[in-house]
Amino acid sequence: MIRGGKSFVSSPPAFSNDAKKLLVCTGNTVSIFSTATGLQVTELEGHTALVTSIIVVPAPTPASRILCYCWTTSLDGTIKYWDFSVPELMKTINIQLPIYSMVIPSLLSQKSENNEKSPDIYAYLSVEDTKNEQNKQRKELSGQILKCNLSKSRLVRGVILTESKKPENITISSTGKYFGIHEKRKLRIWEVPAKDLKHVTHRKLKLSHTKNLSCIAFHPTERIVAAGDVTGRILIWRGFGDKTFAGDNLANGRLLMDEDEKPGVRGDGDADSCTTWHWHSAEVKVLFFSSDGAYLYSGGKEGVLVVWQLDTGKKKFLPRIGTPLLNFLNSPDPSLSSISCADNRIHILKTPSMEILKSISGIKLPSPVPETFRGSCNDFVFDHTAGLVAVRTENYCIQFYSLFDDREISEVQVCERNHQPSDDVTIILNLVALSFEGSVMCTVETRMAEEGIGGFVTLKFWESGSQNSDFSLSTVIYEPHRDSGVSAIAFHPTRDMAVSASYGGDFKVWVGSCESKQNDKLSQRTRWACHAVGSYRKKPMTAAAFSSDGSVLAVAAETVITLWDPEKNVLVAVIGSARESIVNLSFIGESNFLVSASRGSNPQLAVWSMSKLSISWSYKLQTEAVACSHKDSLLAVLAVLPESYKAQEHDETTLHDANGVILLFNAGDPVPIASWFVTKAKGGGLAFIQRSRSLGDNMDENPGPALLAYVNGDHEYAVFNPHGVETYERKIKHTDNVPGEGTGHFGYASMYGELPPTELKLKAIEASSVMPSERAWESIFSGPSHSLPPLTKLCSAFLESLLEKRSATVVE
Amino acid sequence: MAVDDRSEAIVKTFAVKPKLKPTTNKSTPTPESKYWKSFKPKQTQTLVSSITSLAFSPIAPHDFAATHSATVTIFSSQTLEPKSTIAAFKDTATSACFRSDGQLIAAGSYSGLIQVFDVKKRSALRRLRGHSRPVHFVSYPRVDKLHLFSGGDDAVVKYWDVSSEISIHNLIGHKDYVRCGDGSPASDDMFVTGSYDHSVRVWDVRVSSDASMLNINHGAPVEDVIYLPSGGLIATAGGNNVKIWDVIGGGKLLHSMESHNKTVTSLTVGKIGKDSGSDVANQYRILSVSLDGYMKVFDYSKLKITSSIRFPSSLMSVAFSPDCSTRVIGTSNGILYAGKRKTEEKPVGSVKSEWGKYVGFGAIDEPEKRVLRPSYFRYFHRGQSEKPSKGDFLIMRPKKVKLSEHDKLLKKFHHKEALVSALSVKNPENVVAVMEELVSRKKLLKCVSNLGVDELGLLLGFLQRYSTMPRYAGVLIALAKKVVESRADDITGSEELKSHIRNLKRSVTEEIRIQQSLQEIQGMISPLLKIAGRR
Repeated sequence: MIRGGKSFVSSPPAFSNDAKKLLVCTGNTVSIFSTATGLQVTELEGHTALVTSIIVVPAPTPASRILCYCWTTSLDGTIKYWDFSVPELMKTINIQLPIYSMVIPSLLSQKSENNEKSPDIYAYLSVEDTKNEQNKQRKELSGQILKCNLSKSRLVRGVILTESKKPENITISSTGKYFGIHEKRKLRIWEVPAKDLKHVTHRKLKLSHTKNLSCIAFHPTERIVAAGDVTGRILIWRGFGDKTFAGDNLANGRLLMDEDEKPGVRGDGDADSCTTWHWHSAEVKVLFFSSDGAYLYSGGKEGVLVVWQLDTGKKKFLPRIGTPLLNFLNSPDPSLSSISCADNRIHILKTPSMEILKSISGIKLPSPVPETFRGSCNDFVFDHTAGLVAVRTENYCIQFYSLFDDREISEVQVCERNHQPSDDVTIILNLVALSFEGSVMCTVETRMAEEGIGGFVTLKFWESGSQNSDFSLSTVIYEPHRDSGVSAIAFHPTRDMAVSASYGGDFKVWVGSCESKQNDKLSQRTRWACHAVGSYRKKPMTAAAFSSDGSVLAVAAETVITLWDPEKNVLVAVIGSARESIVNLSFIGESNFLVSASRGSNPQLAVWSMSKLSISWSYKLQTEAVACSHKDSLLAVLAVLPESYKAQEHDETTLHDANGVILLFNAGDPVPIASWFVTKAKGGGLAFIQRSRSLGDNMDENPGPALLAYVNGDHEYAVFNPHGVETYERKIKHTDNVPGEGTGHFGYASMYGELPPTELKLKAIEASSVMPSERAWESIFSGPSHSLPPLTKLCSAFLESLLEKRSATVVE
Repeated sequence: MAVDDRSEAIVKTFAVKPKLKPTTNKSTPTPESKYWKSFKPKQTQTLVSSITSLAFSPIAPHDFAATHSATVTIFSSQTLEPKSTIAAFKDTATSACFRSDGQLIAAGSYSGLIQVFDVKKRSALRRLRGHSRPVHFVSYPRVDKLHLFSGGDDAVVKYWDVSSEISIHNLIGHKDYVRCGDGSPASDDMFVTGSYDHSVRVWDVRVSSDASMLNINHGAPVEDVIYLPSGGLIATAGGNNVKIWDVIGGGKLLHSMESHNKTVTSLTVGKIGKDSGSDVANQYRILSVSLDGYMKVFDYSKLKITSSIRFPSSLMSVAFSPDCSTRVIGTSNGILYAGKRKTEEKPVGSVKSEWGKYVGFGAIDEPEKRVLRPSYFRYFHRGQSEKPSKGDFLIMRPKKVKLSEHDKLLKKFHHKEALVSALSVKNPENVVAVMEELVSRKKLLKCVSNLGVDELGLLLGFLQRYSTMPRYAGVLIALAKKVVESRADDITGSEELKSHIRNLKRSVTEEIRIQQSLQEIQGMISPLLKIAGRR
């Protein structure tokens, strides 16, 4: 089983002491990347839940920079101490409360006193109080700041610095003197005692503001604290804590003096002055002082990094990052810094010139889709042969991500436009489809109209060169189905042919014709053109699929499935009727079965036999994704568990957050072969992918059956062998838990029993009764007017009779 | 992880781009079709009536003669202007033909009289009487200066001794009007004639006096027949098709070219000149013209049409100069499309130096290249145009995105200014692209409401001109409606804007009319198509 696709930006990363490595929290592990190449070096495995913070132990002397020790905290309630060069786990401290954030002040301020015998190291933790159930219900204050003695591996009993509604992130100044949290409209700042002992009073102060605060940063040398709020303002308090933190004697004397002149400071906040800067239009997410304290970096939803000169307030920008910023971090090397972006990417910056040197990119997160396009969007698509997944991203790109290597392969800019993350979504990349061998890609993008002006749909065909190089644009088709949206795209398995179905009631078959350029370059490009248009009773076409040999094209016209000959564009047969409109169609391998899935209030998963042109079996399942293997007749279905089912099974411990199930079927048999429970199934996907060669070595030599890849709604994925031994136990355990109503009988059949099988006969087209010799155009209008058919009906017959006559003369 | 250096890619700027235009399905023109299109047809003065024949002089400078109504006009092939006119005809003149030395020209006429003129003096030297009906075809053999052959509506083909004005042979065989013929390039005694009785006959005056050597049935009234340069093949035009026959092999049909839509009226052999610079140079092609207005170029070695050029009227005759520099096409309404190929001027210097060699001065030396010094401007550019040699490793300079004014303004979020700057440049594609960009920022209507009166005039002028163009109509018509609705007060206040609105109204009504008539046509056609599809 291969897992991957974790978020890189769930919590801030950390630089190693020599700034050559970047430690990134990736789910339950910490991945270590090289800043020079951007490639993953190693991984720290040990936590069993999300890793929430990393603290690299700083080197007191330049010589000890090669030391690679770090502390990590996790939601599993443990603090671990690692030597990450080896990598080796040194120590584990179990707190038994989920830890959201940790700071260790003594590590930062240790420099002066390294001759003494090392005192106990104290850490301050932000935890969620899950133990004290009554407390939680009474006050709804679950977040706590606790103190922990790391040297002795235990919490300092009875020290709770504050309680808050939810666990907050602790921010610490770079000297280790102060640390603080932002809670709603307040900043709480504590001074770290010079000699940190077990029981020592922590002096603290509060600074308040009128808006909710979103981030906080301490000046490295002076007593300045900056905070950003949700409206985009940056507040800078200078000289905070003169009263509280300075010596006790002086405080009283200055108190009276400062009472009048504290410009901008609200209430009885203990600060000299407060200034406000306002450039950001949305919430400030990032605040960070440069190491010399001359500059303040800020960023937010706009995707622009702003560099403020602290004394003058002058600004410099790094614009068009294209995604909200989450984190900014300076490294021990003054020329390197990193920005974490919301699109699961970490940029490594060259600080003075603000150039992006390298990007470390994880799988892109699902992009928000407006409600009206919910049905016509697919989030990702699989390249079965290469083991890639193509993810559509918010900034109009398609990211190709290798499932086996867990890294980004390439990114294709589909729509050439700068993305403004703070704007409304007006252009959306709806659909992406890949041909079977992965060399042709088809994308659909929709521009939304502004009050009826200027919206349109674009269909684009892309093709990659010979050596799996990047995709290049081959053909652009504006408004492929007039002004209606495209619901599905399917590629022919062997030929350069694709079909696009639209809600406007028609589907189009596109054919790519190869043409080589006249000049000597051997550049071949394919030009895609419409080959045929089909429609069935003007019903919206909602899904399309080619059979595995490409001889049959199945298009779902809302609730019925129409089968076509794609070459001649002839309707071959119409089968079945689902109760809701069909959203997914696919042929099961080389067997003669077709699977259809519909959602909505009356969901159905149905398997149709192509030889009998009738339903074979069906379930009432809310299917999220359907995958069919190419060789054998396996069918995997990702179904979302109904709420009722979940409630009823809740007491079972294995299922505590599973909301979906993967069922594996053999096409002809309604009893599933295997099933797996999964989490975050909404928006997930499934595919059979071929085993890559590098993987085949250690498993078995001959390419075995295809692997099953599951990507969940957060784009985390797992690749596993559906026939593998490792899942065998779980298989037995869960087979009887399959939800649904069993085979066949529902609806009509459940009430009245089985209907006798009806033979589907194709109506023979009646031979035309108009004889060529008869002069129909003379007699057709004769007769009393009340007995004549309406003129609209007569017209075509009349014209036909005229045409008939002509053909007869030609024959003669 | 992005390993490669795509770091610039992350912060790159995209310019606003107009929608792509549909490209033609045809690939880039082949060098051959470029060659045939390079004869830029220059329309000379309109002649009186249908141009019945065209002929080039075999001697340089290859003047050409055109017969139309009762005259023969001789044109200079250099200037394409008429040089002289021979008007000694009682009826319509036909089939002009130069003698092999270019001194004499022979022409027939509807009166049945064949006359031979001196090209320079324009006086009739010989009058050959014998045909009782209009003569449609007169021709000199390729080399022979003493004989002529002719054919007419009396179905008789005559072989004349020009000097004595008597016909040596009366060749009888055709059963209908004889309309065309050509002398064999292989032998001066052989020629071919075509007739309205669908037959093409090959004659040899040495063998038999009155029976044809070969009889070929074209299948339609033969309008023109030519020998191909080898002398073994002939091409015949009749009906909508051109057929190629092997005369040596006993009149076997080799190919039938059926790409014209109306009667093919004339054929000639064209040659691809040496200067066309491709591998097809010096190859022969059949040029055919037809009443459907097309001139087609047929490669009879590959049996393929290589070029097709359309003219606005029906074409009657075609001729191609032996030096491949001029092509003339005559139409039924008297317009002469004479096209001259632009030849590159031979570098004068080389000619001079050659001439100098003959005279004995020796070639004039090229001035020596001056040594570049820092005082020259070129010094600072030295070596920049150096081409990389084969083994060099190329380091590409990152491409600079050139942003136009409206892109710069859009980048700064100055939306209205961007729209105005695009409008003032008057490139409709860019204007629509900027509008689409504004739509996707949801700012277009705000821009419109912020426009000043002058700028509104600019926008209305643009809308009036382009809103009915199908390419832009989708955006512009909806926009025009919104503009008129939202800025009604400003429009009523200004006389200039009112006139814009009047123009807009006019173009919209025009468009509505067009749409209605298109719908009518669609209503007529669609039932027919439906029935035809049902069969």
